[in-house]
Formats: sequence, structure tokens, C-alpha cells
Amino acid sequence: MSYAYLFKYIIIGDTGVGKSCLLLQFTDKRFQPVHDLTIGVEFGARMITIDSKQIKLQIWDTAGQEAFRSITRSYYRGAAGALLVYDITRRETFNHLTTWLDDARQHSNSNMVIMLIGNKSDLESRREVKKEEGEAFAREHGLVFMETSAKTAANVEEAFINTAKEIYEKIQEGVFDINNEANGIKIGPQHSPTNPSLPGAASSGGSQMSNCC
Amino acid sequence: MFNRLRSAVIEAVSGLEATNGTVENGHHNKSNLAPKFPYGRPHFLGLGDDEVQMSADHKLRPIIHPSKPLPHNTGYAECVNAGKSRWNEDQAVYRQGVLSKIIPTEQGNVQKFSIPYTYYGIFDGHAGVGAALCASYQLHHIIHEKLVDAQDDIWINITEKHSPTTKPRDLLIIGALESAFREMDQLLLEDRNKYQAAGGCTALVALFILGKLYVANAGDSRAIICREQNFFPMSMDFTPENERDRIRRLAQEQPALLGKEFTCHEYLEQPKSSDLGKTVMFRDAYMKGWAYKTLQLDDLKVSIITGHGKRSRVMGTIGVTRGFGDHDLTAVYQKLPIKPFLSSHPEVQVYSLSDAIENEVLLMGTDGLWDVLDGSKAAEIVSKSLNEFEDKKYVSAATCLVGFARGSLNNSLRSLSNTWQLKEGKMASCDDISVFVIPLLPYKLEYENFIKKCEVKEYGESAMDVSEC
Repeated sequence: MSYAYLFKYIIIGDTGVGKSCLLLQFTDKRFQPVHDLTIGVEFGARMITIDSKQIKLQIWDTAGQEAFRSITRSYYRGAAGALLVYDITRRETFNHLTTWLDDARQHSNSNMVIMLIGNKSDLESRREVKKEEGEAFAREHGLVFMETSAKTAANVEEAFINTAKEIYEKIQEGVFDINNEANGIKIGPQHSPTNPSLPGAASSGGSQMSNCC
Repeated sequence: MFNRLRSAVIEAVSGLEATNGTVENGHHNKSNLAPKFPYGRPHFLGLGDDEVQMSADHKLRPIIHPSKPLPHNTGYAECVNAGKSRWNEDQAVYRQGVLSKIIPTEQGNVQKFSIPYTYYGIFDGHAGVGAALCASYQLHHIIHEKLVDAQDDIWINITEKHSPTTKPRDLLIIGALESAFREMDQLLLEDRNKYQAAGGCTALVALFILGKLYVANAGDSRAIICREQNFFPMSMDFTPENERDRIRRLAQEQPALLGKEFTCHEYLEQPKSSDLGKTVMFRDAYMKGWAYKTLQLDDLKVSIITGHGKRSRVMGTIGVTRGFGDHDLTAVYQKLPIKPFLSSHPEVQVYSLSDAIENEVLLMGTDGLWDVLDGSKAAEIVSKSLNEFEDKKYVSAATCLVGFARGSLNNSLRSLSNTWQLKEGKMASCDDISVFVIPLLPYKLEYENFIKKCEVKEYGESAMDVSEC
């Protein structure tokens, strides 16, 4: 399907905070109580509409386990948005946010929009991190904040879509250089200034790729 | 870069393939032919079109692993090269099959026995994705046919330990693999004018059947068994340097293959015309050692094999000497056919699983892995992963292996150059990397169960019905 823009997202945060469940709820509108451990990276995609423009979100769901941290780091590059997720019922996942944020800031492009997400808001009785604490952390570090529940779907749409709105505004303001793919934004085929029609099969397949080896 | 990616997409749609620097497609213009199989990633990864595009991101090189478990939780992971070709030219496949045997009983009923087998293959393509795709789609069918041809004799081997009428089971299975490899190569030969030029590929295959592991290798992918901290090789690399003797002897027997430009002699250094009349060190095709001769005009020809290690080449063109395809491959400058020097014949190694232990694995990897780590480092990573992870440990081990070999970009933001580095700062692998990590113990247990059932059949009373083993 055609789209005006493609935004690349990355979801990060400690293991077990519900990153994959948030993605599944957003892409498939369902909740899977027992989710397999993510290894490395898994992909998701969905089309949304902002300002009556079709925007495709390409989402990289990463492993939270420490053992995969160095692999996860390599995926920050070229992301336009990041969802940094903690679990409101486990304080240590909140305490690790600074580490995640440092990682993200260090390895991503400086314009990346970061949405802080306190997940599992349905488990109010087991809450260990107050909503105000999340808000304060977000304010202090210049993040957007939201509490969500991947289980009830509360705020899940909003989390993904608000991040996209934020990116979209930055594009309108000219903050993002949309021609630089490293920013995690791609112009859709029909908007592309150089939109070559599909070449006939006869054209040469000469490689433009650099040869690094 | 953005345009580069887009053009990659467009060209994929039109089915064009990239050629890389060291190997060129031959002189035939076949770009108007369609590819035999559409480009994609291995079937068991279950990637959609979008994900296939995402997986080919040369700047992020995502490490992809199966979304659903493979048999016995076998591990697999892969990542694309750092930009040397648009697409990941490696392919991988696994299949589970059954050989059936129906035996009439004395009571007039029939008894049906089923011999299960599991097949894994990895194929490292060059000069395009075609040959590797064909091998990943077709080789297992051919192997199955060859095994079916041999199944009666394989069966005799189970019921009668020493039958004079047939050959040992190992030789039947090795023969099935060997003849299947040859047929696969023939198929690419027959297809070469029907479908788009396919390039070539290496082939590394593991077959688990009747309590044994058969590893067939043609090319420079490599299989090792990791057992606790130790490892031992299950394949050898077929590179020009390692196959020096075979190729030089062939050249000596059929000098016409060398044209006017090449020689089967080997010199310590490539002789120059200014060296004419001087004494140089050389060896002939049949020689192991070195001798001396006075340099003459005829000695100024280029050695059929040049370079060392990973950089050794046949006719200055190709760095791997066994595999499938390359039927139209010619020397880069001299345009002589190279295929006569290449072979599809695999070396088959056999490993009995009777002593297999927990966490003992077969590790299969394309040269993208082995370019930057050796067997002992690989065994160390595998052993560490298997101890560290409880859930999905074989997939995790495969992911860690690919992650190690791929390394990371040295400069996360400013540099757009593709310099991938290992942790210690050395160059990482910029080739496509594919890895299987296959636990051996389940195949031992599978075989023990099979034998138990057969014994029940033999001595039990169940032979009255159509029963399965």
C-alpha cells in the first residue's frame, strides 16, 4: 500500500516490561499473556493517518535482555522514534531508564522522538512506580510520557500515534532532513521527487553498491 | 543511500541481480529471462515482503531468526552483508522427511516402517542470488529421490546386520548425497538458458538419519561439532589454495583449458619479463616441493591459482572451487571458461550420534562467520550461550555468533561508511552471515525410539495389523 511517509520506530526497555505485547496490541489488536522472549529484534508494521496523510510505521521490537544489549544498540541508528518502556509494577525497570536513555541518545540521531511509556497500568494494585514519577522523569529528560496497558489496550494507539504526530510536526518545522535516510524517515513512493517507474527487465543490473571487503 | 535502497527495491521487483566484483556473469545476455524462483529469505523465517526489505538494510544489518521454533528448537540466525551486494546471497533450508518400507507379513498383512530424517542446508551464493535459491528449493527433493532409490537396501541394513547383497548403509547414504549434488549442478546447467543467469553457490548439507549425522560439503561454508568447550571440524574448505593439487593436475592433463594465458606451473612470485633468463623457484602440478629453473618466455603466463588464503583465486576470478552453478563463468580478463576447474562433488563426513550429549551441537556457518572467528572461538560462544540462556538457547547461540561476526559500526552517527568492527577493533565480517546451531542429542533419542519400536514389531504380536514403526 502506498504511503506519504515511513517512520522507523524502535522499542526499548528492560526484559519483561511488555515491549512485544505493546507492539502486538498495536499491530494486531490482541493481547498475548505469555509472550516468547524476544531475541535480537522482531519487526512490526502498521499504517496510520495523520493530517489526512497515510504514514507507515515500521517498528523494530528489541530484546531487553542484557546479553543482547550490544546487538540492540546497533538498531538505534536510523530510528525516527523510540518507545522507552518500563513496567509500573517493577521499580527496577524504572530505575534502569537512565541507562536506556543514555544508550539511546548515544547511538541514535539527535532528533529522535522518545516516548516514555509506563506499561501495565491495568495492574493498579501492584503499582510500584507512581504516575507522577514517570511524568517527572519525562519532564526532566524532555520526553513525551504516557501510561499504557498492552492488556486492555489503554493508550496503546495513542502512544504510537502521538509519537508519529511529534515526528510529523518536526518534519513540518524542518527539523528533520527527510532526504537523509539516517533520520528514520522515508518519503513514500508517490511523493518521491525522483520516482523512476519500474525499469524494464532489460536494463543493466550494474551494482551501485560500495564494495567494502 | 536512500536512493540506493529504493533502487534495490525496484530492481528486486524486476528480478535483476547484482554482480559482485570478483565474479562476473558470463558473456550471455540473459537479463530478459525471468528468475526461476523469486528472491526471499529462508521459508522458516516467515518474513513478509516488508520484512524482507527491512532485513536487507546494509547499515543496520538486523540479525534475523526464526519466528517459530525449528525441529528440536534448532537455532538459526542470519544477517545481510555490509553493502557488497544488494541482497543477502546466502540461503538456508530445513526439511523433515520419511522413507517408508512396506513388508508383507506371513499372515498376509503388511507392516509399514517409516525411517525419519531431517535435512539442513546452507548455500552461499555469488554473482547473484539465483543458484543459492534453486539449491534451497530443489536440492532436498533430489536428495529425497536418491534416498528413496536406496531405501530397500538401507532397510536390509537394519534387519540384517551383514547382508552380502548390499553395501554398508553409510556408503548408500553418502552415495545418495554425492549423486544428488551432481544432479543439482546438472539441473542448473540445463536451466541456464531457460532462466536468468543464476551465478553460483556453495552447498553445505547436514542429514540426520538412523542415528548418524552426514555432513556433505562443497564450498567454503564450514561445519563443526561443539562438544562442551571443544570442537572438531565436520568439513573442509574448498578454496583454490586447498584444492591446488586437484586443479593444477587437471590443468596439466588438459592444457587446452588454460588457453594461452595461464600455466599450471606455480612460481614463488609472478615472474616479470625483466626476470627473463634469471633463476626462479617453481613447482609443477605434480610437485609438492620447490625446484629451480631459468625463466623463459613461456613462464610469463599467469598461474592458474594466485593469491593466498581467502584471497586465492582460480584464473584470478573465483575464490571457491566447489559448489553449484557458475556454468557460464569466465575468467575476468581472458574470458576462458572456469567451470571445468570447479566441482560439485561434496566431501561427506559421517558422525555417529550414539555418544551424543546434552548441549552438543552441530554448527553450520557460511564463510561470513568463519572469516572472523575460528572453531575454538565459535565453540566458546556456543558454550557460553547454551549455559547462559534457558529459553531458546540454540537460537540465542546462533544470534550471538552472528552478532559477534557482524560486530558493530565503528561510528554510530557521523560516519556513513560501512566499517563494521569486532569488539576488539578488528574488521568485522562484511559478508552475508548465516548460522545453524543444531542440538545432536534429540536425534540420538529419536533413533533409539525408532529401534525400540522396530524391536517391538519384531517380537510383539502387533504384526497382525497394518502398523507403523
